[in-house]
Amino acid sequence: MSRRALTLVAVGAIAAALLTGCREAARENPAQTSWGEPDLTGVWKADIPAANAGSDAFNLAKLEGLYTAGARERMKQLSAKDDPTLQCIPPGFPRAAMLGQRLQIVQRPGFAFILTEAYPVARIIPTTGRAHTAEQYLFPSHLGDSTARWEGDTLVVDVISFNGEGWLASPQDRPTAGSTGVWVTSAAMHVIERWRRVDADTLEYRATVEDADTLTAPWETPAITFRRQPAGRIEEALCRTEDGAETYLARLGS
Amino acid sequence: MGAGKLAVIALLAAGTSAGWAQVRPITPPAPVKGDDQTGAFLPAGVESADQATERVKSHTPDPAKYPVPRTSWDAKPDFSGVYWPTVAIKPAPVPLESLYRPDAREYREGGGGARGLIDWRGIDSPAYHCWPPSPANGSTALTFQLVSAPGFLLMLNEGGGTFRVIPIAGADGRQPAHARRPSFQGSSVGHWEGDTLVVEVTNFNGKPWLGAARPPAQPPQTSSNALRVVERWSRPDGQTLEYQAVVEDPQMLTGPWTGPVQRRGMLPYDSIQEALCVPDPELYARHREYAASAAAARGGGPARGRGGRGGRGGGQ
Repeated sequence: MSRRALTLVAVGAIAAALLTGCREAARENPAQTSWGEPDLTGVWKADIPAANAGSDAFNLAKLEGLYTAGARERMKQLSAKDDPTLQCIPPGFPRAAMLGQRLQIVQRPGFAFILTEAYPVARIIPTTGRAHTAEQYLFPSHLGDSTARWEGDTLVVDVISFNGEGWLASPQDRPTAGSTGVWVTSAAMHVIERWRRVDADTLEYRATVEDADTLTAPWETPAITFRRQPAGRIEEALCRTEDGAETYLARLGS
Repeated sequence: MGAGKLAVIALLAAGTSAGWAQVRPITPPAPVKGDDQTGAFLPAGVESADQATERVKSHTPDPAKYPVPRTSWDAKPDFSGVYWPTVAIKPAPVPLESLYRPDAREYREGGGGARGLIDWRGIDSPAYHCWPPSPANGSTALTFQLVSAPGFLLMLNEGGGTFRVIPIAGADGRQPAHARRPSFQGSSVGHWEGDTLVVEVTNFNGKPWLGAARPPAQPPQTSSNALRVVERWSRPDGQTLEYQAVVEDPQMLTGPWTGPVQRRGMLPYDSIQEALCVPDPELYARHREYAASAAAARGGGPARGRGGRGGRGGGQ
């Protein structure tokens, strides 16, 4: 073997060693999955402050002020009894992040899955930054159509194609004296979520909600902190109308 | 009955048309052909449920031609994909019904542990109440999506929007935790035997029905909370999935029942669609009225079996 060939072999070996080293470093980094994405996996639960009269942990007074005149007319016809979760319709995000219930995040290359324990549903979120489902195949839904991309440690999820049936908050959320506890949305809603890994045991969640048919300007949630839970999995927790919402949620907490 | 059947057909049609919608534009529906009612919803030229079933049934797995994808993290078969339809390529050695204990009959005729049913002899069943499909009866005939991820297999059901989380024991032998509470779908924990994922499911709530037998022709094939299911999931090639379950329930069955070998084909898309099952109290109320009037027409008795709602075994 010539000297040149030997050199090539040596260079190749060094390059291979370096590449392997890099790959192993990536795998050893607990903040990343083995394929090099930020690792958001685990069972999480949001820190929710105790509901005190007059407290506004979720910036809902601001939201209340953003409703259009048309939306206010619609909301006058509704009451707390019309909350869709009372019929076991799953709350979409960001409301689901404001309930203090557990969720589980699972990742594989190109996808993240967010499974909620209360009102159990699975969100399927492509993480490659691809386009939304083509318009002719989109249909309005409770959870909407999600697509996402990574910005540093943050998964930025863009959600469209809602059915306008969901509420943005719960009937017990009454941030001002005039609050009715009714929080409607429309099919024009567009949600941008930011899921960020803060450290091994903490996620930060923020959402911006645009809804040209019901809001005069975008509304932003405050940062909501999710803490890692010791459980390795969430439980099956079926919502049944015969239980009633309160019984259901109490049973979940047991 | 009619509503439930229609809903199932609509879901099948949605799954099928959605799958092929990725490659073909939607055209006006073709007329109904024979008994294959999904044909009524499908654009001309798109495979019907019968055609898809026949294609999957006659397929010969060929891993050389269709290699089984493997995960980047443990090099095990990657189950990720959307699967439909399902066909039994090898029947169960014995019918499930033949293993039912005679002394479970009274419990079964009372509707079993499935409390809350309106009229178990006719219009409703666990699925009617949006209870999730149970692994006890081979999961579901509807479209589902499997997701392989480090340490987990997820099963996401299109019909009803329910899901199963199946943690998988690591190569180091570390055992994942079981779920704490009894549930419809039980607590699943998987481990690898070669390239087959073996999933043991326990801690059921006694409410799932084990088979498709429907009243009034047969009493429901109820389960108890002693139910234990061992599932074997494998991929014969990159186009198919195979599934077989062995069901043990000493309170209901005289011995373990080995289910059929089921093969599933794949659909050419990577996400199921939202198709939630939402209980409708108003519909239930109307059906309760109907059940009561049907019972009155039958001779005035309540629309329950001879054993009433109580009975031995099962339940929570």
